Amino acid sequence: MENNNAQTVDKLESQSSPPTGIQVILREFKKDKLAMFSLIGVILLIVTVMVLAVVIDQAKIMNIQLLERFTEPGVRGYILGADEAGRDMFGQLIIGAKNSILIAIAITILANFVGIALGIIMGYYGGFIDNFFMRIIDFFITLPTLMIIIVVITIIPSYGIMDLILIIAAFQWMSTARLVRSKALSEARRDYISASKTMGTSDFAIMFKGLLPNLSSLLIVEVTLSFAGNVGIETGLSFLGFGLPPSTPSLGTLVSYAMNPIILSSKWWIWLPASLLILIMMLGINYVGQALRRAADAKQRLG
Amino acid sequence: MSFMQVEDLKVHYPIRGGFFNTVVDHVYAVDGVTMEFERGKTYGLVGESGSGKSTTGKAIIGLEKITSGRIIYEGEEVTNARRKRDSAYNRDIQMIFQDSHSSMNPKKRVLDILAEPIRNFLKLSPQEERKRINELLAIVGMSEDVLLKYPHEFSGGQKQRLGIARAVACNPKMIIADEPVSALDLSVQAQVLNFMKDIQEQYGISYLFISHDLGVVRHMCDNISIMYKGRFVETGKREDIYTNPKHIYTNRLLSAIPDIEPETRNERKLERQKVEAAYREEQHKYYDEDGKVYPLKSISDTHKVAMSVDEKERV
Repeated sequence: MENNNAQTVDKLESQSSPPTGIQVILREFKKDKLAMFSLIGVILLIVTVMVLAVVIDQAKIMNIQLLERFTEPGVRGYILGADEAGRDMFGQLIIGAKNSILIAIAITILANFVGIALGIIMGYYGGFIDNFFMRIIDFFITLPTLMIIIVVITIIPSYGIMDLILIIAAFQWMSTARLVRSKALSEARRDYISASKTMGTSDFAIMFKGLLPNLSSLLIVEVTLSFAGNVGIETGLSFLGFGLPPSTPSLGTLVSYAMNPIILSSKWWIWLPASLLILIMMLGINYVGQALRRAADAKQRLG
Repeated sequence: MSFMQVEDLKVHYPIRGGFFNTVVDHVYAVDGVTMEFERGKTYGLVGESGSGKSTTGKAIIGLEKITSGRIIYEGEEVTNARRKRDSAYNRDIQMIFQDSHSSMNPKKRVLDILAEPIRNFLKLSPQEERKRINELLAIVGMSEDVLLKYPHEFSGGQKQRLGIARAVACNPKMIIADEPVSALDLSVQAQVLNFMKDIQEQYGISYLFISHDLGVVRHMCDNISIMYKGRFVETGKREDIYTNPKHIYTNRLLSAIPDIEPETRNERKLERQKVEAAYREEQHKYYDEDGKVYPLKSISDTHKVAMSVDEKERV
C-alpha cells in the first residue's frame, strides 16, 4: 500500500515537472518519422564509414593497377568497380567519405567555437566591444569567400587537410557569431545575469557557465545545420579542384571524375555512388536539424 | 552610527538623436539622492513607477553606472570603483530581486544557485559548503530534498524564499530588496516579509526596501523616503511620514492607500477628491518651473521635506 502511494507520488512529480530538453527532442523525433529515420541513417552511415576506413588499407587501394582499368561493379571482388587507374571505387568511397566527414566535423567545431565564443562576448558586453566586432563581421561577410579560398589555396605551395580546414573555417564563423550574439544580447539583460554579478561571479564564468547553457537549444540546431553545409563546401571545393590534393580521395574528388564526358556517360559506378552518398548525408542531416529546430521552438513542435 | 553613506547620487542616461546620433538630452533617472544606512535598520524607498527607486538600488550595488555622487562604505569610497568581483563590498551588499523566477538561472539546480555566492566569497571546503547550504535551507524553512530541483519546479513564494536564502548566504551587512513581494499574493507576502524581519533580528542586517506598496512599507521600515522624478520629496521616520506628512505629493500618496472598511467608503472618497483638488491647485508651490522637486530642508531632527526657499521661511 505504502509502496503504491510512493509510486503514485513519483508519477505525479514526473508529470508535473515540464519535460527536459532531451525529452522534448526525443518526443519530436518520435513524432517525425522522417527525422527519426534520417537520424538513424546518418548515425549508421557515419559509424560504418569510420569503422570500414580503419579496416581498409589506403595505400593498397591507391595503388595503380592498369589491368583492372574500368572494371565493372561486382567483377573480381570489386564491389563498386574500379576507376581509370584500376583503383577500387568502394575503398575510395569509404576513405573519401571518412575524409570529407572528418574535415566537415573539424570545420564545424573550429568555426562554431570561434563564433559562439565571440557571439557570447559581444552579446554580454554590448557597447563598444559589440560594435567593434560587428563591423569586423560585416567586413568579412562582404568578402567573396569562395574566390578568396581558391586564391589562398593556389598561393600556398603545399597544402594538406589542415590548411583546408583552417581556410574554410576562417570564413565560416561569422553567421554563428551573429546568431549567438543576437540571442546572448537579450539573454544577458535578464535578472539572473545581474544576480550573478552581485554574487561575485567573474565575467568569464557568467558568460560560459551561466549564459552558454541557456543558449544550448539554439546552438545544437546551428551546429547540426552548419555541419551539413560544411560537408557541401568541402566537396564543392574538391570538385572544382581546389579542395584536397588528388592523392587524398574525398567525396568531391570522386564526383569530379564526372567532368570527363566518357565517364559521365558510360562509367556510372565511378561518380554515382559518391554523389548519392553526398545527397543522402546532406538530406539526412538537414532533416535531423529541422527536427531539432522545431524542438527548440515551442510554437513549431509536432510532439 | 551609520556604516554606509550615499551622497548626492546621480544616474543620468543620455538620449541620443539627430543626424550624428549625438547626445541631445538626458533622462534624470536618479537626480541627487542622499542617504545614510545604520546597522539593523530598514530603509523604505517609495514612489510611483519610473521614479527611480530601482535605479537607486541598482546604482548602489553597482549594476548601474553612477553619473556623479559618492558612495562611502565603512570610510572607503566605492563609487564606480574598479573592484574585484569578489571584494568585501560585493560580499556585504546583496540584492533580492523583484522577479525571483528570472533572477535564477533556469539551467542550474538549487544546489548550484545557493552555492554561487558561497563559492565566490567564502572559499569553503565542499563539506562546509554543503553544511552552509543546509543551514540556509533551514533558515528559509525548506527541506534538503529541494537541492536537486530546478527553479521552475517551485512556487512563487518558495522561489522568493530561495532568493532570500541566496542573499543571506554570506552574512551580508545590507540587502537591497527591490520590490521583493510585489509579485506574490497577499498571504505569501506576509510570510516572506515576516521572514525577512526574523532574519534581520537574527543577523542585524540592514535593508533598503524598495516598494510602491505603502502598507508593506509601513509594516517593514524604520525610515521612509518618498521619491518622485529621481529626487526625494520627503524623508523621515515612519511616524513622521505617516502621521505628519508635509509635502503635497506624500499627502496624495497616503490618501491613495486602499482601505476595505465599507462604512467609511463615501467619506474616504470625498477626502481623496479633496486631496486631489488641493494637489492640482497648490502643485506649483511644491515643484520648480521645470516640474522638478526642490532640495530637501530639515524641519526636525529626523524629518526632511523638499521645499522652496520662501516656503521654508513661512514654516
